[in-house]
Amino acid sequence: MRRRDFVGQALGVMAAIGPARRLLAFPRAAGWLLVPMDDAQSDHLKAYGLTYRAVQRGIRAEWLLNYRNGSFLIPADQATPRDAALAGISVQPLDDGAVLQIRAEIQAGNMDAIPLEKAPKVAVYVPPNAPPWDDAVTMVLNYAGIEFEKIWDPEVLRDGLKKYDWLHLHHEDFTGQYSKFYLNYAGAPWLLDMVKQNTAMARTLGFASVPEEKKGVARAIAAYVERGGFLFAMCTATETLDLALAGQGVDIATDYADRTPMDPNASAKMHWELALAFQNAKLELNPSVPVFSDIDGHQVNSLDRRQPLGSFTLFNFSAKIDPVATMLVQNHRQVIPDFYGLTTSFTRRTLKPSVTILADEPGAPWVKYIHGERGQGTWTFFGGHDPEDPQHQIGDPPTDLSLHPHSPGYRLILNNVLFPAAKKKELKT
Amino acid sequence: MILLRARRTLSAALGLLGLAALAHGLAAQQAPDPARRGFELERRGNYGDAVGAYRDALKKKPNDAAALFGLERSLIALDRPADILPDARAAIAASPGTGAFYGVALRAWAASGRPDSVRAVAQQWAAVDSTDETPYREWGAAALARHDRDEARKAYQTARDRLHRPDALAGELAMVLSEEHDWAGAVREWSTAVAKVSGYRSTAVRALSPAPEEDRSKILRDFGKQTAPTARWLEADLRAQWGDPLGGYQVLSANLPNDRGRAVEAISGFLDQVRDQTGPEPRRAQGLALAALADRTPGPGGSQLRLEAAQAFADAGDQAAAKRLLGGMATAIDLTSGAGATLVGVLVKEGKVEDAQRKLEQLKPGLVSEDWMALRRTVAWGWVRAGKLDRADSMIVADSSVEGLAMAGQLRLFHGDLDSAAILLKLAGPFAGTRDEATARTATLAMLQPIQADTLPALGAGLLAVERGDTARGVQQLEKVADGLPVDAGGAEIRLYAGRLAQSAGRTADAERLLRSAAVPDAKTTAPAAELALAQLLLDSGRAKEATEVLEQMILGFPESALVPQARRLLDQARGAVPQT
Repeated sequence: MRRRDFVGQALGVMAAIGPARRLLAFPRAAGWLLVPMDDAQSDHLKAYGLTYRAVQRGIRAEWLLNYRNGSFLIPADQATPRDAALAGISVQPLDDGAVLQIRAEIQAGNMDAIPLEKAPKVAVYVPPNAPPWDDAVTMVLNYAGIEFEKIWDPEVLRDGLKKYDWLHLHHEDFTGQYSKFYLNYAGAPWLLDMVKQNTAMARTLGFASVPEEKKGVARAIAAYVERGGFLFAMCTATETLDLALAGQGVDIATDYADRTPMDPNASAKMHWELALAFQNAKLELNPSVPVFSDIDGHQVNSLDRRQPLGSFTLFNFSAKIDPVATMLVQNHRQVIPDFYGLTTSFTRRTLKPSVTILADEPGAPWVKYIHGERGQGTWTFFGGHDPEDPQHQIGDPPTDLSLHPHSPGYRLILNNVLFPAAKKKELKT
Repeated sequence: MILLRARRTLSAALGLLGLAALAHGLAAQQAPDPARRGFELERRGNYGDAVGAYRDALKKKPNDAAALFGLERSLIALDRPADILPDARAAIAASPGTGAFYGVALRAWAASGRPDSVRAVAQQWAAVDSTDETPYREWGAAALARHDRDEARKAYQTARDRLHRPDALAGELAMVLSEEHDWAGAVREWSTAVAKVSGYRSTAVRALSPAPEEDRSKILRDFGKQTAPTARWLEADLRAQWGDPLGGYQVLSANLPNDRGRAVEAISGFLDQVRDQTGPEPRRAQGLALAALADRTPGPGGSQLRLEAAQAFADAGDQAAAKRLLGGMATAIDLTSGAGATLVGVLVKEGKVEDAQRKLEQLKPGLVSEDWMALRRTVAWGWVRAGKLDRADSMIVADSSVEGLAMAGQLRLFHGDLDSAAILLKLAGPFAGTRDEATARTATLAMLQPIQADTLPALGAGLLAVERGDTARGVQQLEKVADGLPVDAGGAEIRLYAGRLAQSAGRTADAERLLRSAAVPDAKTTAPAAELALAQLLLDSGRAKEATEVLEQMILGFPESALVPQARRLLDQARGAVPQT
């Protein structure tokens, strides 16, 4: 059964029970803790970690969609207030009466209460030579205190993904062209190391070249989603994953990557039906321009095509009808300053019709944040590299998130981490 | 980088040439002409129409340099640089002896990605003037823009063969070799380049300094084999860059020419490399270089350099060298107030406080009041360190500045007169001295606050021992004082203070014991600060788990403390949740 059908059924059952019956489904605990996610919250990012750890301890928390900007409700235990005090997270103790009032308010408006039952097991795809502080997701998971494991090509290709509920990809180049930095950063030690590691790994895994190996990895990731996995990708990983999937059997890599020039007609030969999000894109043929295709609207590394940064606006969804999209856009800010990445945004022209747009820049030909389904799983793509470092350059100092505890951009990443915790409940319903 | 600069210079020169020619044209005829119209349009940013106007001018006169260069600028702005090819060809046909037109054609071929044509145009251009390096430089630059280093090397080698000059384009070739990590070749070419144009020196250092650790000794050996002094100056600069500033200075001083101007150039270049370095060795190297520069600089400039050299030696801990230098300028007439301050400071650091006070009296007529008082405080600190508090008191008795109040407060504290000390330190507030000194003063006031007694000579003696450099004895004395006081009436606060002193003196075990003993529940105001300091100490000692436990206890035990945000940040660091900064 498809995920959407499950959601539909779950919502149907919940609606039939009604607010009073739904309340009965929760234990009559002596007290509750509300974790507000509006401007009363002193650390929005750590609040996700607090909820994650509560769920990890077996507590059945709830995500109050659209209630005070996506607050969490946690049955009071001894550990949660301690955890909140240590991390500096605002929590409000509530009695059963106050909770009843909240539930009534939720029932009456465009809000919903989604149970969070099982903390997802998180994997982050990281090459072994990656700097520890160069990935927004790794940084925010560390900051929020959410456990994760690092995996790379060997684990992905040897069926290691099945252990995880949630997979994150960041700025990996799945076309196998080293982010097309090969010419402009020739001789840089980090690039030499990257080339060495990737070449050795491709050989070890039995592939003729790095681009071929990365296509294999992309296929394994797509299969993981197909089987019900949750994929969240940012920056270059979004665009290049789809290029690698659609480029099966097409030479989309330049000669320095696989010793053969890129097929000049590659754009016409792409199999877009294999891609998750994009279609009909034109590939960049110039090997010295660190741009992959016209999927990215901002083209940050092309001097003549680069677009200035604006801001993007989150869409509103119906919490009761479309809880998944609603979860992904929970925020205390609707308009968020944009930030560059090697892939910053996604041109509307290249989006498949089935894609759900979660955030866009009004009036611009690109969108920022998209979501979709493949088989039993889902994927979410978020353009840009680091929400709090809009101009991110190679070698910039790492972002210290204790200076950005209210970052709305980073909140969007954390929405994605908790979202699988909600889905498990829906699947069981 | 050099190549880029060369290109930019060329472009700028062409632009200027174009404007000059245009100005000449304007003077010659009053009626508006297409080239002038083109220039106006270009100036307003209307590049599309400017292209049309310049082309109109070129139709009339294909070798109109101003119009051709204007057209090139406009087409570059429109990202259509290759479109100029027909116009460049026509200009060359009209004036085959004008080298600059070949440059336009070469850049256009480069923009259209045609290396064969770039090479052919460069060779045609070279035939116009068989002594000019420019065609080969442009050819190489076009190749490098495509990351084709082989072709660039070929361009530079061709220049050498055709021009019969083995040193031609050495800087350009050196840059290519540096990027390729061909260090032996790079040493050879950079040596040639700096011998010819000394301005290449800083570029050479920038290009060579990223060389990997394992290649550096070989590079230095290769430079050591060079006979030209300029090459050895480069070696000196690199030694300084790679952590051996004194070795660098040795090489430099052994290769200084007799010619004063050249020697000054050599030393100044070295100083540029070491100027931002800190620590005793770099400061000593700076002192040596500044002294050498002072010897070659006449008049007040020389005195100023000598003074800076003395300060550098004093900072490096070499008081003897500092004094020797200052001795050379010791007549009152030579001494500026800065030199006087340095000399008095050196004498105080040497422990010759009596001499320092005498010298200060000699200098008095030439000093402004503020400098005079500042130097008296310097001497007063000398007396404190000599253990003669009365002499120190007498030095600042008339000093009503905030710095004077701060010092007077410290002196009263050393006497054990806590009441007066607190009043004076509060009066000095955050205004006296550096930020660190103000912070230390606040910590002292925090220590004094809970103590009920007005006088406590043992506390003063302990603090004086610390000031005199005997931290071990001072900390011991402070602990003894703390033992005699209730924890909530100064006992805990003094232990915290002593713990911090022990920590800054590297006595980690003592510090940990004192901080733990200060973090007792009865001392409600002191305990959070003591736990925070203890956690920092544990974290600095690589004991993150223990630090985490202490911080958790502090945050949960003292949720209202103003130090909680600081503790949370430290907790994030202990857990690896934020990058180490």
